[in-house]
Amino acid sequence: MQRRRETMSYRRRLLELAAPLLALLFALLVGGIFLLAIGKDPLQVYLTMFRFNLSRLDSIGSILYKSTPLIFSGLAVAVGFRVGLFNIGVEGQYFIGALLASIVGFSLHGLPVWIHLPLVVLAGMLGGMLWAWLPIVLKLRRGAHEVITTIMMNHIAYALVLFFITSVFLDTEQEMVKGLGSPQVRMPKLLETARMPTMHGFLETLGIELPRHVYLNWFFPLGILLAVALFVMLWRAAYGYELRAVGGNPAAAETAGINTQRTMLSAFLLSGALAGLVGLSDLLGYFGYLDIDFPKGYGFTGIAVALLARNSMLGVILTAILFGFLRRGAEGVQAFEGVPMDTIVILEGVIILSIVVAVQIVNWYVRRQEKLMKRRQVTMERAGGD
Amino acid sequence: MPSPVIETIGLTKAFPGVVANDRIDLEIRAGEIHAIVGENGAGKSTLMRILCGLYQPDLGEIRLRGVPTVIRDPRHAIKLGIGMVHQHFMLVDRFTVTENVILGAEGTRWGRLDRRAARRRILEICDRYGFDLDPDLAVEELSVGQQQRVEIVKVLYRGADIIIMDEPTAVLVPQEVQELFDNLRRLAKSGKTIIFISHKLDEVLDIADRITVLRGGRKVGTVKAQETDRRGLAEMMVGRPVLFSVDKEERAPGEPLLKVEGLSLKSGERYLLRDVSLEVRGGEIYGIAGVEGNGQTELVEVIMGLRRPTTGRILLAAQDVTGLPVGRVRGHGVSFVPEDRHRRGLILNMTVWENLFLGRHRARRLTAGPLLRRIVMLGEADELVQEYDIRVGSTGQPVSSLSGGNQQKVILARELAGQPRVIIASQPTRGLDVGAIEFVRQRLIAARAAGLAVLIVSADLEEVLALSDRIGVMYGGRLVKEVAASETTAQELGMYMLGSTTGAKEARDHVL
Repeated sequence: MQRRRETMSYRRRLLELAAPLLALLFALLVGGIFLLAIGKDPLQVYLTMFRFNLSRLDSIGSILYKSTPLIFSGLAVAVGFRVGLFNIGVEGQYFIGALLASIVGFSLHGLPVWIHLPLVVLAGMLGGMLWAWLPIVLKLRRGAHEVITTIMMNHIAYALVLFFITSVFLDTEQEMVKGLGSPQVRMPKLLETARMPTMHGFLETLGIELPRHVYLNWFFPLGILLAVALFVMLWRAAYGYELRAVGGNPAAAETAGINTQRTMLSAFLLSGALAGLVGLSDLLGYFGYLDIDFPKGYGFTGIAVALLARNSMLGVILTAILFGFLRRGAEGVQAFEGVPMDTIVILEGVIILSIVVAVQIVNWYVRRQEKLMKRRQVTMERAGGD
Repeated sequence: MPSPVIETIGLTKAFPGVVANDRIDLEIRAGEIHAIVGENGAGKSTLMRILCGLYQPDLGEIRLRGVPTVIRDPRHAIKLGIGMVHQHFMLVDRFTVTENVILGAEGTRWGRLDRRAARRRILEICDRYGFDLDPDLAVEELSVGQQQRVEIVKVLYRGADIIIMDEPTAVLVPQEVQELFDNLRRLAKSGKTIIFISHKLDEVLDIADRITVLRGGRKVGTVKAQETDRRGLAEMMVGRPVLFSVDKEERAPGEPLLKVEGLSLKSGERYLLRDVSLEVRGGEIYGIAGVEGNGQTELVEVIMGLRRPTTGRILLAAQDVTGLPVGRVRGHGVSFVPEDRHRRGLILNMTVWENLFLGRHRARRLTAGPLLRRIVMLGEADELVQEYDIRVGSTGQPVSSLSGGNQQKVILARELAGQPRVIIASQPTRGLDVGAIEFVRQRLIAARAAGLAVLIVSADLEEVLALSDRIGVMYGGRLVKEVAASETTAQELGMYMLGSTTGAKEARDHVL
């Protein structure tokens, strides 16, 4: 009987792993219907997507580059979920993080890179924490729900960043080529000492020649490292244990003597600090300046990334890369198949929905199987007993 | 011999994982009070739910007045004359007694609600069976015992002649129990059949004509109440002889370890606690009795630091801990078994071993820097599982997969393992079966023997009386009476629980 229970849990694991894959297949099917509707051959499109994504080194690099901010935002959301808080404010937190990082990045002259760069990164985390601080304090002191407050903080952050770019730190000393064209609406460029180096040099020593137009930088390994560190914290450290306890049942955690308020505060600030890192790969590794077209939406995608990973820190790495894969693939099918990128956005949505559904179905199925098995055992025992 | 009004033949109902009713042959005669007893999970509720149409049996037959019958649903059951009075009342507080009784069975005249005729019929029913009930009062103004009467009238109003009562005494104080029993006897005398579900043996022996015992989904037997006793019934229920009296050695209490002085707690203008003072000494069990909702929960929460008192002091071994957070209070050697396991006691989605260390996880031997020493914890968890006989496959299982009794053992193991000086246990045996209750009580007695101060809060008077050295009764947020357990009776305590301070003395004199 022991053996049977083990096979059960083994089968259950397998099913749980299979669920997202099945969902992925299903999503491709639904996506195929959309593709048919716009007159494309789905098989052809998918084939192109996979070939484009997997057969070229620059695609691989680009996938990882695109997944980098999503790793951070997925982690930020997942940490919030683990302590029972819904951090919808990652979006605003990374904007403020990018703002602070940018200011530190262009204003502190004469520092060596090994001081300046960490300072800039810390400034980013601080910005995220700052923007997470108000909602969590409002929640703990006044009971304001964090979903509402963080959404509002997002809007404030957008507006505030815009204000700082256009009215406070607008770079007025931009050099025009022959005095022609109009200046960009952006803040001054970051100093070289504030830029995150790309991984080209390192990869070359491994014999990998990454094309120059890919901006894969050291934030990617940093994200993976952070995910592992958070995993260890959550499952091995006393603090992570408390965090999960508070997330699981705050009343019981409080009764056991855990300071739930402090745990929620610190975990939410940690979530904010992680959120502060979301924009830095783009800012320090690609643009080099903060302008009004700074990419939006990583915070919201992070919610999907965390949900798909079921708040597993290591799972976030995988789901973030999946999203990176789709986004790179979207570029490919747009270029080679004339399929609009929005189709792939639809695909993203369908994948999220079908994974949510698939996980439910698998859970339901597993529970049913377990029940059936228990019932069989009972009847067997009964029959044997008589 | 009277003919059976309900007969079940080979009634079987299986749920995933359990056969809740296994070939049950039951025979209930018209006009008798028939008790069904058994531990939690013995199958009492399932059997009753089949009889009132909530479940359909997988196998077997029900004969109603000799005729094989399928009871389709509760509505059908009431049409067949079977009515159920649930443990948790289903009443609308704001409605009057009349309105509650006719709800769902409203008689109309020309499409208008005929309240007057309904009221007349209710008065008739009350008259016939000697129920003391004012049909015009709102239910929220009634005592629990009266509310229960409304439920019975509801069933009678719908023409039931078989009344199933599900643990009817669980919510009543002794005086109300007596009134209920008087009512039930009158009903039986006038020809109604009453099926009475309980696990309180004394009551069953008092009220029932015949008693059917279930164990593990099967019928153990049916006996006449006059031909058996507590011991016999308990043995049938548990399947082995049961010790009733909790053996406590005589013990001179030591130093006061927990002292509460003039504690008050105000919520708005209302006093939840009012000037409560008590002390519990080492080697003493202090029991707090009272109808639920009279300040017991608040008292315990204030002592633990979960709430801040408005006035008053809490001393632990002469150290003032008033207003300290829970963690610091626990640091003074206080352990706490909360009344609601699932709300305050456990983190259901965490594993058994993780729950075994909740609150104790920062102990020096369990940590290495910021990390927890899992190997040490898992080892200690296994020891606790052994020592407390927690039935679990592996401590890595989520605690939610355990039965209620085993969950309570997890809490008890955790709270006692911290080597406390004071234990506060709220409803320590609520919802547990006889075996687990025995276990929990023995542990508390052992704690007393080890010189700990034990404060228990229990809704079960029998338990308070059996365990405590001294008993305090709470009513309306006050500690209205404090007595030595050996010098009081359930009757007397019941009086105080109802808020009567004058009548209690007489009741005692009457009984003694």
